[in-house]
Amino acid sequence: MSMAEAGGWRLGVDVGGTFTDLVLLSPDGRATTRKVLSTTANYADAILQGIRELLAGAGIAAGAIAELIHGTTVATNAILERRGARTGLVTTDGFRDLLEIGRIRLSRLYDMDQQRPVPLVRRRWRFEVDERLDHKGNVLRPIDQHSIDRAIDAVRAEDLEALAICLVHAYANPAHERAVAEAIRARLPGLHLTLSSEVLPEIREFERTSTTVTNAYVMPVIDLYLSALETQLDSLGMAAPILIMQSNGGVMSSRRARQRPVQLIESGPAAGVIAAAALARRVGAPNVISVDMGGTTAKASVIEDYEIKRSNEFEIGGPISQGSRLNKGGGYLLRTPAIDIAEVGAGGGSLVTVDDAGALHVGPQSAGAVPGPVCYGLGGTVATLTDANVTLGYLAQDRLPSGLVLSAEKGRQAIAEQIARPLRLSIDEAAHGVYLVGCAGIARAVRAVTVERGRDPRDFTIIAFGGNGPLLAAEMARSLEIGSVLVPLAPGVFSAIGLLEADVEHHLVKTFNRSLDGLVDGDLARELSELAAEARDLMLAEGHTQQLEAASAVDARYAGQSFELTVPVPHLDAPGLAAAIAEDFGREHERTYGHRAPGDPIQIVNLRAVARVPQAAERRAIRPATEPNPNQTQRLAYFGPRLGRLATPVIDRFDLGKEPRSGPLLIEEYDATTLVPPGCVAELDALGNIIIRVEA
Amino acid sequence: MDARELSDPILLELVKHALDAIVDEMAIALVRTAYSNNLKNSMDMSCALCDTQGRLIAQGMTLPLHLGSIPDAMHYFLRKFGDSVRPGDVFILNDPYEGGTHLPDFYIVKPVYRGCTLVGWAATVGHQLDVGGMTPGGNGCDATEIFQEGLRIPPLRLYEEGRPVDAVFAFIERNVRVPRQVLGDVRAQLSACSAGEKALLQLIEKYGAERFAACLDALLDQAERLARNAIRAMPDGRYDFEDWIDDDGIDSGEIPIKVTITIVGDRLIADFTGSAPQVKGAINSPMPFTKSAVYACVRHLIGGDPPNNEGYFRPIEVIAPQGTIVNPVMPAAVAARGLTGFRAANAIFGALAKIAPDRVFACEMGGDTGVSFGGYDADRRPFVFLEFLFGSWGGRPTRDGMDAASSSVVNFSNNPIEIVEAEYPLLIERYGYVQDSEGAGEFRGGSALVRQYRFLEAEGTLQVRADRQKHLPYGLQGGRSGTPSTNILNPEGAARQLPSKFRHTVRRDDVFRHALAGAGGWGDPFNRDPELVAFDVAEGKVSIKRARQEYGVVLDPITNSILTEETKKLRQSAHSGRGDKR
Repeated sequence: MSMAEAGGWRLGVDVGGTFTDLVLLSPDGRATTRKVLSTTANYADAILQGIRELLAGAGIAAGAIAELIHGTTVATNAILERRGARTGLVTTDGFRDLLEIGRIRLSRLYDMDQQRPVPLVRRRWRFEVDERLDHKGNVLRPIDQHSIDRAIDAVRAEDLEALAICLVHAYANPAHERAVAEAIRARLPGLHLTLSSEVLPEIREFERTSTTVTNAYVMPVIDLYLSALETQLDSLGMAAPILIMQSNGGVMSSRRARQRPVQLIESGPAAGVIAAAALARRVGAPNVISVDMGGTTAKASVIEDYEIKRSNEFEIGGPISQGSRLNKGGGYLLRTPAIDIAEVGAGGGSLVTVDDAGALHVGPQSAGAVPGPVCYGLGGTVATLTDANVTLGYLAQDRLPSGLVLSAEKGRQAIAEQIARPLRLSIDEAAHGVYLVGCAGIARAVRAVTVERGRDPRDFTIIAFGGNGPLLAAEMARSLEIGSVLVPLAPGVFSAIGLLEADVEHHLVKTFNRSLDGLVDGDLARELSELAAEARDLMLAEGHTQQLEAASAVDARYAGQSFELTVPVPHLDAPGLAAAIAEDFGREHERTYGHRAPGDPIQIVNLRAVARVPQAAERRAIRPATEPNPNQTQRLAYFGPRLGRLATPVIDRFDLGKEPRSGPLLIEEYDATTLVPPGCVAELDALGNIIIRVEA
Repeated sequence: MDARELSDPILLELVKHALDAIVDEMAIALVRTAYSNNLKNSMDMSCALCDTQGRLIAQGMTLPLHLGSIPDAMHYFLRKFGDSVRPGDVFILNDPYEGGTHLPDFYIVKPVYRGCTLVGWAATVGHQLDVGGMTPGGNGCDATEIFQEGLRIPPLRLYEEGRPVDAVFAFIERNVRVPRQVLGDVRAQLSACSAGEKALLQLIEKYGAERFAACLDALLDQAERLARNAIRAMPDGRYDFEDWIDDDGIDSGEIPIKVTITIVGDRLIADFTGSAPQVKGAINSPMPFTKSAVYACVRHLIGGDPPNNEGYFRPIEVIAPQGTIVNPVMPAAVAARGLTGFRAANAIFGALAKIAPDRVFACEMGGDTGVSFGGYDADRRPFVFLEFLFGSWGGRPTRDGMDAASSSVVNFSNNPIEIVEAEYPLLIERYGYVQDSEGAGEFRGGSALVRQYRFLEAEGTLQVRADRQKHLPYGLQGGRSGTPSTNILNPEGAARQLPSKFRHTVRRDDVFRHALAGAGGWGDPFNRDPELVAFDVAEGKVSIKRARQEYGVVLDPITNSILTEETKKLRQSAHSGRGDKR
């Protein structure tokens, strides 16, 4: 880290299921990028290949790299593909089935065929120990050593690799979990252990169990993966520390990642939001919605007053779109801080269908990279959103700037037969309908993070990226009456750039569960300070000796409610702390739900602390190197029955200037194509971002 | 987006999604601000939007059994207030004899005005924690007339032009055991209404009132069309099914629920003639609730993701003779009508299974059981704990029933044990599967769940509504029934077996254990893949003995591996000798 601040080269590596994106950043802020195919058998191979190419291009040795920041889907894929460790669970007598029972809610209504994911720990490997605490942490029944011994015998007999320990009310008192852990370490020292009181000391047994188990399940996988990567980087002569992007958008050391792999499940999508937040600050746009649309999904996240929004819970491995945020249980529940990202199954590869009643659907099934959209000619037969975009003339008709060969005619035929005919529309109208429904898909994700959280999307600017974001964002923005869309440089590898923008960060949470009424300010301040100190100690233990930033917050609710709002606590030592929290909470409750309940007691459920190593303020903006696209041309593109086909110039980003230029315009680049629809105007800002003004 | 450019299917899709998002927002606002477990954790509530005529145009993905009841409630509101509704008004009712379905369900609705023009209604239903009456929790089955069940609220104004009607709030406050929670939850319903109002106005603003209204008509028609298509695809004929409730907890003996479904072209008629007369115990199901059960079940056979509005009710007719348990008249008690709703759903699915045997599951188990503990602590502060227990799904034509899943006609969550223990004088000592409880089948039913409570106050009232001790969740196509449910007081002491429905005074350290029934199986268990049987044995859900007896699968007692020859022999000999004997 300190080397990076001193002016070393930095490397961002974003490993996805299809592509591994790399960004090499020179000490003066110049970025070069590479996109190589991921090697799923051993991800490190592709990373090494990409690094070698970048080093050669820059003419530097591996030793010049001061820091490698890594976003990875390895943990996610281990869960999705059920390739985690042979994992056991030790739990309290009477509760072996908690993990499997979950919250019993259905993920879909009226669907008699639905299934829930198989638990990560099978029932046979869930062991009960005889003990019991109450909700204050008092021991109701001391832990029985024989029951621990029985559990250990079983773990050994079943040859398990990892073990989760989650006892009822352990958030209030970790002693029993520690006793189990100690006994296991004495007899089975090689076993990967995860204690719920360490990973998530928070009330609610299922959520805690599920999170603890998931951590245990991916721990050996991540351990192995990082060891392999480190060995290979060593062999390349690279001694730089590896930092890993967490779901919450901060980065942590690889050592910590091995202990808390559950925190890097959403590592990939988080980086894009970080990049958007950094850009928002740079262009002075405090309220931004990041819109990241790739081949299979569209993701939206809100940045408000330059702050990224985080949530404390999400599901992984469920259906991409459940139709409703209320329907849970389709995936594995994780209660760990993550950037609040809404994801819907609408991307370029999304399949387009017409149902019995003549309604048009885009996604959530996707043609993926294989067989891909029909127009790719790689075997796809079902029409996709990309086929509609080609039909409309929004995309190049024969070859994308990246070199991918297209057949517009094949795409057009698919739209004609599968969409236009059953809907009795012209081919153009049908394709345009598909495009608009695709826009509506993104709009759903945007609504989920704005309207459903009490925020008006019209107060925000869109930052659009990913392979398809720039193509749909402006039209989507119009449907939500959002006035302005920004398309950054190198929108296709924007997430990898985000890795280089991240802070080193640790989030800690502790259940407190006391009424605000009876609290002495000093008590609360002391508890919060202790937690903040713990977060700082973690940083120091990892060797971060720079000036640290710390922030505190509380999760509060009216006594009786089950859902908390997080309220920042900026000044721990100010007088009237409790009164200030009560006022801030009341205001936030009113803003979110439209009312407050003055006089009703407020409960402080959790305390939170964040410690971060701030980015050097003087660090220069990252400037991706771009190659001009010389293929100036124009296409006839279709914009709905009223406008029909319009001659649309196809230009390079830098053909735009400070003078606004009216749509329709298509801006073609190596990474992505940006559409400026009719009625919108586009210009370039000083940093090279495309700014699209959307007319209502 | 300029809609003049839009072809209709696309505009409709956009409006449909927008409506879904709004009712979701309403439900989220309600859940997040609610105080009682049953609303905030179990989500025993629904949110909806109606048009100016009270037609249901969208309901959140919350509780199907509420869905069909909202138009009835709206009918009573409009009948009474139709001409006098003004901006800023809010209305409330809970009376099952004037638009409600039982007293704990508060219907709170708010007219939505654009300027001075009524453009629709935001509607909510929330199951309140207590409504006074003889049983804490308002859900007892031992009342024998509506007057014992608590506070009856006819359609009333709760707000008049933006000002709260103090008299109504005061009556509610004085008549419930836990006013802070109940009024908090009423506020939560109001939040949901406001959220719906705001979002609906934005939507109408965007598309214009006229075009929006046209979209609603089209969306209602679309749902109707999908329903008619689905029904038309069913073979014409009469399909009947009978299921039973064990008793009403008073004096009824077994209670038949009979339904005959007739398919004529694109119409479906569900006729409950032949069901029992209304009973003394409080399990009578008012007509709106019975209709809801029919709509919810039939919806499972309508493909194509129809818009969640009342359009799909149109081809469905429900007949239930007055004075029966499925259409009671004054003064029948109805607090625990949920049980009859669930049983009606079981019977309807049984009849639908005859229509679509390759799609419909065997009998699920869930919803029958409601448990409430109520009383006062040492400082005379009241507490009321209420929860409903689910459940598992019946075996399906292509796969096992899900273990531990909410009933498909509601969508409940369970309550976090640690939260319950932190908020109530209860310890939950066990929550898990019961071995050998599944209805055996080629595709087995889900295992039963057991939940065990220890009472920690000096004294209180335990009231339980359960069933399925005698009449068990049925299997289909040769699948077996699940095991019966049980109520046991102090299982590790005197182990007293209690009837399915009771009210009992409990004292400190009394332990109550309820096991749900197991769900029914689908298909002949002797056709079950032996590997699946072996897996269930390895997981401890099925015993090695039961594997042999019910499934004809012989396992090595030490290694659990399948003894192929013995299994083959056992299954063959059983095939020749089995049949009606089993």
